Amino acid sequence: MNEMVNFLAGMNEAATSRPLNFSRRGFLGASLGALVLGVVLPGGTARAQAAGAVKPGTRVPAFIEIRNDGTVFFRSPFIEGGQGIFTAMAQIVGEELDVDPQNFTVECAPAGPDYTIMFGGHMRITGGSFSVRSSYPIMRKLGAAARQMLLEVAAKRLDVPMSELTTEPGVVIHAASGRRLNYGDLAEEAATQPVPEDAPLKADADFRWIRKPLKRLDVRDKSTGKAMYSIDLKVDGMLLAAVQHAPRLGWESGKIFNEDQVKAMRGVHSIHTIPGAVAVVADRWWHAKRAAEALQVEWKEPAADVTYAMPADFSTEAFREKLAATRGPGVDAEKEGDVDGAFKAANKVIEAQYDAPYLAHGQLEPPSAIARWNEDGTLEIWTPNQAPEMFQGVAAKQFGLPPEKILIHSPLLGGFFGRNFTYLNGGIPFPQAALLAQKVGKPVKVIWSREDEFLRDYFRPMGLVRFRGGLDKDGMPVALTADVMGEGPTESLNGVDPNKVDPNGVEGIVEKPYAIPNRHIVQIKVPHVARVGYWRSVGHSMNDFFYETFFDEMADAGGHDPYELRHKLVAGSPRHLKLLETVAESAGGWKRGPFTAEDGSKRARGVSMASPFGSETASIAEVSIEGGQVVVHDVWVAIDPGSIVNPAIIEAQVKSATALGLSTALLEEVVYEGGKPLARNYDRYPILPLSRMARVHVSIVESGAPMGGVGEPGLPGVPPAVANAVSVLAGQRIRRLPLSRSSLGV
Amino acid sequence: MNLVINNKTYEIDSDADTPLLWVIREEVGLTGTKFGCGLAQCGACTVLVDGEPCRSCVTPVESVVGKQITTIETIEEDAVGKKVVEAWVEAQVPQCGYCQSGQVLAATALLKRNPNPSDADIADAMVNLCRCGTYNGIVDAIHAASRQA
Amino acid sequence: MGKILKKFIARLAILVVVVLVGGFWYVRHIPSSPFDGAGQPEAMATLEQGEYIARASDCVACHSVPEGKPFAGGLEMGTPMGSIFATNITPDKETGIGNYTLAQFDNAVRRGVAADGHRLYPAMPYPSYAKLSDDDVKALYDYFMHHVEPVKQANKPTTIKWPLNQRWPLAFWNVAFYESGTYKADSSKDELWNRGAYLVQGPGHCGSCHTPRGPAMEEKALTEADNAYLSGALLDGWYAPSLRGDHNRGLGRWSEEDIATFLKTGRNQHGVVFGSMVDAFNNSTQYMSDNDLKAIAHYLKSLPGNDGDGTPWEYHEVSVAMVRPGEQSFMANCSFCHGRDGKGRDEWIPPLAGTTSMLSSYDESAINVVLNGSGRVVASGIPDAYRMPSFRDKLSDQQIADVLSFVRSSWGNNGPAVTVDDVKALREHTHPASPQPIILQMR
Repeated sequence: MNEMVNFLAGMNEAATSRPLNFSRRGFLGASLGALVLGVVLPGGTARAQAAGAVKPGTRVPAFIEIRNDGTVFFRSPFIEGGQGIFTAMAQIVGEELDVDPQNFTVECAPAGPDYTIMFGGHMRITGGSFSVRSSYPIMRKLGAAARQMLLEVAAKRLDVPMSELTTEPGVVIHAASGRRLNYGDLAEEAATQPVPEDAPLKADADFRWIRKPLKRLDVRDKSTGKAMYSIDLKVDGMLLAAVQHAPRLGWESGKIFNEDQVKAMRGVHSIHTIPGAVAVVADRWWHAKRAAEALQVEWKEPAADVTYAMPADFSTEAFREKLAATRGPGVDAEKEGDVDGAFKAANKVIEAQYDAPYLAHGQLEPPSAIARWNEDGTLEIWTPNQAPEMFQGVAAKQFGLPPEKILIHSPLLGGFFGRNFTYLNGGIPFPQAALLAQKVGKPVKVIWSREDEFLRDYFRPMGLVRFRGGLDKDGMPVALTADVMGEGPTESLNGVDPNKVDPNGVEGIVEKPYAIPNRHIVQIKVPHVARVGYWRSVGHSMNDFFYETFFDEMADAGGHDPYELRHKLVAGSPRHLKLLETVAESAGGWKRGPFTAEDGSKRARGVSMASPFGSETASIAEVSIEGGQVVVHDVWVAIDPGSIVNPAIIEAQVKSATALGLSTALLEEVVYEGGKPLARNYDRYPILPLSRMARVHVSIVESGAPMGGVGEPGLPGVPPAVANAVSVLAGQRIRRLPLSRSSLGV
Repeated sequence: MNLVINNKTYEIDSDADTPLLWVIREEVGLTGTKFGCGLAQCGACTVLVDGEPCRSCVTPVESVVGKQITTIETIEEDAVGKKVVEAWVEAQVPQCGYCQSGQVLAATALLKRNPNPSDADIADAMVNLCRCGTYNGIVDAIHAASRQA
Repeated sequence: MGKILKKFIARLAILVVVVLVGGFWYVRHIPSSPFDGAGQPEAMATLEQGEYIARASDCVACHSVPEGKPFAGGLEMGTPMGSIFATNITPDKETGIGNYTLAQFDNAVRRGVAADGHRLYPAMPYPSYAKLSDDDVKALYDYFMHHVEPVKQANKPTTIKWPLNQRWPLAFWNVAFYESGTYKADSSKDELWNRGAYLVQGPGHCGSCHTPRGPAMEEKALTEADNAYLSGALLDGWYAPSLRGDHNRGLGRWSEEDIATFLKTGRNQHGVVFGSMVDAFNNSTQYMSDNDLKAIAHYLKSLPGNDGDGTPWEYHEVSVAMVRPGEQSFMANCSFCHGRDGKGRDEWIPPLAGTTSMLSSYDESAINVVLNGSGRVVASGIPDAYRMPSFRDKLSDQQIADVLSFVRSSWGNNGPAVTVDDVKALREHTHPASPQPIILQMR
């Protein structure tokens, strides 16, 4: 993950390297836009003090506003996209502030130095399953500091020493006199207090909300259609735009054969040639969309220097063959012991090649962006994003403006999974919206159709790994090599260093917990032609499939049960041992099968382990094969994130990640032929429906290790657990995903 | 033409072949009904037409003139719909939430037709996609709402 | 055209063996044209006349490819023995038909003989174009010579290997199946009928798809004199329905106005163009004048239905109970657009109840459109608001067979059940339609 952070930090540079000279308007404007949403005005006190450098994550009023009624408005550095972060923030801050998290209203904070709280305070993203673990102490301190500020005001009003005051949720209490002051009555004055640096934190044992399965704050709105996403927002006087994208990235429009006809279509305001697309601006999106589709555009091949251009002959199958055919030397990603010697001494050597396809994010909310140029020269943008300062920096660069002139709004995300980073070569719609708004002199909302989205998504990379395993006379693995082919998303986005490994390319193959003494894992770089980006659990999403299924091949070759072999090879790590035993126990004990279930179906189980994003997981899947189709009945996942904030959210996230893992194992694959994706909608890119979902059983283990991530770690163990189980039933190894590719005549 | 949406009559000037989805979102201005795929593949745009689930992205507006259209905004005014919403909240079904308007309406339609659905009935009827994979929660909530009935 | 060619070439191989001697002169000779010796005239028609007849003849559908230049050729027509490619018919002198005289052009269009004497495969519908009037041929020639951009693009050689690539036996095929002579008006019929007959038989070459073919892949009839004419045929994975008065599998329930509307807008209350008719509509029929479409409708409605059409279809209510195989798939995948009642949505989304593809014993069109979806219908430059998705990645052969068997036996439909093998065969030999509108520019 470090590399991802570095990359993102690099992207962030544009926003943070300039002098932090925010105007009051610049700061407030982010929330003062004429948005139909009930945006609450932030108290302006925070920025009024912003003369010198801001220490991120310290200024209470930039984060917390307590209203007269005692409810709290909180600006979260992280965006809510279903992972429950707004609730977790309320839970952590509320714990120290002593306000019931249910009384919080949470929104994503605007771009600004107060909120770049991650990794020593120089950036922020919502990604890498980093949000809670990177901000937990900061949020607690903010809550505690705010509580102290309330106490100070209360002490003055009651004219008692602060030490005599206590709090109950929302109330300051002077026990001796029985007097009570509501937070709401203290808030205005409290906001002007200096922020204490040493407010005491609660002892874990006193936690009222942290570690409890609190209900989420956003569930009722999301169950009644009230939640507003980027695509739902309106600003006054806004026009709508649809685009016809070049069929291949990097190609540009030439002649438009029927411009006059399209201009005359209902609702059409204007037609614009923009980079890589032709856009239609209209009164309604439906009118814009029909007109954009009606445009008959000649598309011209890209200039030779367009490095990201999609060639007309690109096919994913040919790229896969290239990955398979390319040989090293590679860059060392992990090297331990004497691999050559171990292979020479080995009793048995096995080899296998695995691969997994490009994947689309497939978040259900199609990309959209609203851009408005304000009279004061600021550009205001509403768009799904996982990194406001990065978007700010990119927009500033695009229009040659200082970053503070760019106001970024971050509405709720209708799913993200890594989709909403600054994928600059046509991967996000806000540059189009900003350009069009400038051209027409009115606010413009661009919406991409689902077909646009499949054409311009940045995919989870295709991957291919060649393994070689050496077993001793007892069938125990003693040597392992892996050629990890291709490129990780970070180097693909950020530029490849031929001498450096992209950790996002090899994660899930390196740093496995198994005591295999001799290991040599190399990354062999093959540049991607299709655009690749971050996708839920990143490299782990396929690499743990490769490794953990090859692990079962080694177990079989050595005559060991795959669970027992794992058990032996993690014997030295109590954390992993506990996790493995926990998942087996939760599944009613390990049995590989095949066995006959109560309903008469023939079933088998597969097991896997993964170490993603600072957490540890062990997974078991139970499958049968019916009519050639894999049915996954149950998945048991044990997760150890070290320590936790909300077990209900963790369970929900593991279930969600399991669903996505199942979807990739069973169904998903992006295929290109002739430089074009064959799938432009869900008809040709099926994703997991309810009928193919497994029942998921989650066990949470708190080992006390440093806090790990929660949103992504549930995913990587699922495809290998399923594939290992299928291999038992099908009598053939599964070395390629998705399983719908394999003919399983059982 | 006139449309009856949530018991209110709207005068509509959209073209006859405009998808009901875009009439609801852009002309009537109700945004709880979501655009997901435009191809009847995902179900995010589900509304009820005369009580039956309808994918509004593939429904020409002309074809629903004279029918009762119900969107997520007033689903709680329906007795079954209210139970479904309560069950959704209780089971904490939504994650990103984008598909959930459609899921709630599809579940309401199912329970109106079949007040006591089995797991198989639910799998047959609940064909809306959820990229967050909230399917376990959806099944649990439908059973819970069914028990409330 | 793949299937026709496959059978055709196989049968040609027999001829190659049989016809060993004689007729060498015959197979190489250049036929005579009324334009012999006419030289290289200047413009003989207006742009509009030439473009109109090019549209009516749908030259562009085969002689252009989506990302290519207009009329530069290149469309691949595959067969198991190899492929043939449509040729460059731009006026480029080197690679196109820039050196063609009017007489040579006429011989290619109406007689299937290229300037150098080689015989064209009847994938080029010259047996139909034979009926074109002299004036229309002149207008067409003028159009290609003076209004189409010359494009230097070499024709791709056929990949069919010797001896199957020999063309001369086609001359004998022509003796058997080619009827020479332009359209002869039937004086017993009115002008509208005759205009319709001319358009249908000649430039429109409707019979290429809609008339069944005989043992040598010849169209069984080229005029209404034989009631096999336009009686419905299977071609390249699509069943082109009868255009005769058959109640179930033809146009019996369509009025003349319905037909004209269908050809003008691509849709009416009975259905929407799909399969290979999308190309014919997008590139050809919608460009015809109202009067010509009326004429076509008038002519088609004069063709009586044939025996064996079965009991006339009537709508019957069906309550979907999710019990029969295919019902769940229907509800999950079909009902949202086509309606639980199978009636479709006005003219925007076609019904499944009572349509030819659900009544015919041929199930290919039904299977094909489910597997592959349908191309975008672009009427007057505006793509359709609704398109048929492809289900090949979502539904198994069994599920497609089940859902179609359900649809073909519901609402009064009585098409025979669909088998898994039928689906499997088509899945392997067909490709999904593009979700993007495809416009073939002519200029």
